[in-house]
This record gives sequence, C-alpha cells and structure tokens, in this order.
Amino acid sequence: MTMDCAEARTHMLDARRGTIARELASAFRVHLDGCEACRNEDTADAALSAALERLPKLTAPQSLRADVVARRASAPRRVQASPELARSSRATRVMVALAFVAAVAAAVFLVGRRRTPTDAIVAEAVNDHLRVLYGEHLVEIENGGMHQVKPWFAGRLDFAPVVAFSGDDDFPLQGGSVAYFIDRKAAAFVFKRRLHVITLFVFRAAGLPWPASGGERMGRVTARAETSRGFHTLTWQDGDLGYALVSDVDARELTQLGERVAGTR
Amino acid sequence: MPSAKRASASIAEEALVHLDALYNFARYLTGSASEAEDLVQETYARALGNDSQFVAGTNLRAWLFRILKNLFLDGRRRAKVSPIVAGAEVMDASSLGGDPDREPLRGDEELELLRGVVSEDIGAALLALSPDARTIVLLDLEGLTESELASVLGCALGTVKSRLARARAALRESLRDYSKG
Repeated sequence: MTMDCAEARTHMLDARRGTIARELASAFRVHLDGCEACRNEDTADAALSAALERLPKLTAPQSLRADVVARRASAPRRVQASPELARSSRATRVMVALAFVAAVAAAVFLVGRRRTPTDAIVAEAVNDHLRVLYGEHLVEIENGGMHQVKPWFAGRLDFAPVVAFSGDDDFPLQGGSVAYFIDRKAAAFVFKRRLHVITLFVFRAAGLPWPASGGERMGRVTARAETSRGFHTLTWQDGDLGYALVSDVDARELTQLGERVAGTR
Repeated sequence: MPSAKRASASIAEEALVHLDALYNFARYLTGSASEAEDLVQETYARALGNDSQFVAGTNLRAWLFRILKNLFLDGRRRAKVSPIVAGAEVMDASSLGGDPDREPLRGDEELELLRGVVSEDIGAALLALSPDARTIVLLDLEGLTESELASVLGCALGTVKSRLARARAALRESLRDYSKG
C-alpha cells in the first residue's frame, strides 16, 4: 500500500497521537521516511499543536455557572408540569426558584471564599513546572553561570528577569529556557537540590490575580507558600515582576531558595 | 419520578459537566467574553428547552457543542458579519491540497515562530480563520473524537480528517501573517 502527500498529511495528527489505523501506519511511515516536504509539514504541525496547547483553558465565570445551575434546577419541573399545573403552582415555583438562586449565591460565595486568588497562579506554576520536567530538554541554555543565562533571554522576552541568586553548592543553577505563564512569556530558571528539580518562573506581574493580603514576609517581599498536587510553590511579586518557585523538594528548602532568589539571604 | 422528568434531570445534570468546555470553546470562537457567555447561556436554554430532541444513549457533549456552534453561525449570519479572512478557500476546496509542492516549505523560520508565539497571537490568528476552520480546530483542541466532530459539524465521518488538516494548515498561514504584521 502506498500513500501520497495529500493523504499522508491527513493522517499526521493521528500518527503523532498514536491513533492512526493500524493498516495505514506502515504506509504513512514509509511515505514520511521518503518525503522531506511531509516531514517538514509534520514538524511544523507538531509545533502548532504545542502552540495550541499553550492557550489558557478558560473556565466559565461564576455568574454564568449560577445561571446555568438555575436553569438546570428548573428543567425537570418544566418538562413535568402540564399547563394547568404550571399556572396553579406559579407562586410556589417562583418561591422555589428564589430559594434556589439564594442557595446558589451562597454556595458561590462560600466557594469563592475558599478559593484563594493565587489558585490560578499556583495551578499554572505547577503545570509549567511539569512541562519543564517532561520537556525534551530540561533547559535551552545550559548553565555557565547567571552571567551567561540572563543575557540569553535578551530578545526572547519583553522584560529583563531580575534574579539576585546565581546558584551555589546547595542549589546549583542548571540553566534557563523561555516558558509561558498563563498568557505571557516567562523566564524559567532551573535549579537542582540533590536530585530534585526546582523551577523558578519570572514573568510580568500585571493583570494576574495576586492576593491583596496574606503570605509571609521574605525580606522586602511577601511570599505565599502553597501546595498543589504534591508540589510546593512559593509565589511573590517584586515590582513589576512576578516570581513562582515550584518543586517537590521540601517546603523549607524551597523557602531557603526563595530567600536567596529574592535577595534576602 | 416519571421517566420524562428523570431523563430531563439527568440531561440537565450531565450538561453542567460540560460548562467549562463549552465556555472555553465559545470564548475562542467569538473572541469576546460577553458574547461567549451569551452563547453558552443560550445553548443551555435551547438544550434544556428541547431536551426531548436529545436521543438517550447518544452523545450529549457533541449535542451541546452542536447547538452552540449552530447558534454562533446563525448569529453571524443574522449580523451579516463577513468573517472569512483566511482559510476559507482552503476549507471550501473539494480535495486536499492537490499539489503539495505548491505549498511553501516549512523551515526553521516557521518553527521559530510557532515555538515563540504567545497565546494572544494564537487567539487573534484563530479569529482570522473562517468560522468553519476555527470551529474544527477548537473542537479538536477540546478533545472531541472524530465521530463527535462529524456530529457537531454535520459532515461525513470520512471528511473530518481532511477538514481538520486544512484548517490547521490555514491556522499556520494565519500565524505566519501575524508574525509579519
């Protein structure tokens, strides 16, 4: 069985996802091996997939959720009620609906209280840390010292990452790479602590849901320590920049690194 | 509980599970938070108001996405918006490509662009696509299966792969245009 370029290109995505039909897989592989244009297409299409994966997953606003929940609650009554019953029980239904909306509003309020404003930042930091861990290369620029790593970001970012710490024997700097933090570019610095990988993300802080209060003083900055999916995070703002440290290393050790990065130790 | 009521409650309950996915889809489809909210609200209103049309045992997720997609396209038609900027002729082509050699080679420059592009640019490039192309790219990103895509788009299962490939190629072209801009 042979495959031409047009057909091969319709199967590229399936082939990369491992969902290509078994009877086509061999012909596809043979075609790709012998066609440089299709190999280039496949590489570019894979880069497109990676770019699309960087789009933030948006969640429905609470107001929309409350509205939909209210619709859900009224749906069974609408289906069941005959016109006569609907008319006779209108007052009851209004009262039930009002009570339900009040309950939803209370639930939304309570959920909102439980969720901290840094939830999105912490979730993104952990996701980005996992991308660093799972990436083909841990870093794009190997460490030759911070004096080599920081200049490497020039022209790759729309800000200059300010990091006071260059690594030491406790937390050796491994290198850096460009990452994406929610909707913006970020500098990712990778440190090690024994066998643990620690990622420091530096990004523009404006427009992110930083908490108005809380956290612990860490020198001249206030840092918030949290744990998500088994990873410890330390996040703070310093001027125009935001910082997120993430690792599965012990939380106290992460704080030690945070103090050095923030220039407080 | 009467079976009609039980089925309706079940649909309403399950539909809520897809709220975030529908909103995410609508948000990138329209490029507008308020329009996305309106679309999702209308989708649920239609779905719960016409739940008798949903065939039990079939795919509720695909049904909801289909309602939303149809509402979006209807709205665009009514507003007489001319949304087709890029990719339209690609999506309308009856066959894929024809002569792949006519397409520009994908070099390091494009890879560098794709690896460095930020989400704002991707969102803008998506909006520059035809609604059909944008829809299939976003639905695929939502993880819909091929048969779900066929159901939402109302097309034959056998055409989904080629439609998606063309839409993704159009998106890459769109992204390249943005890099020039």
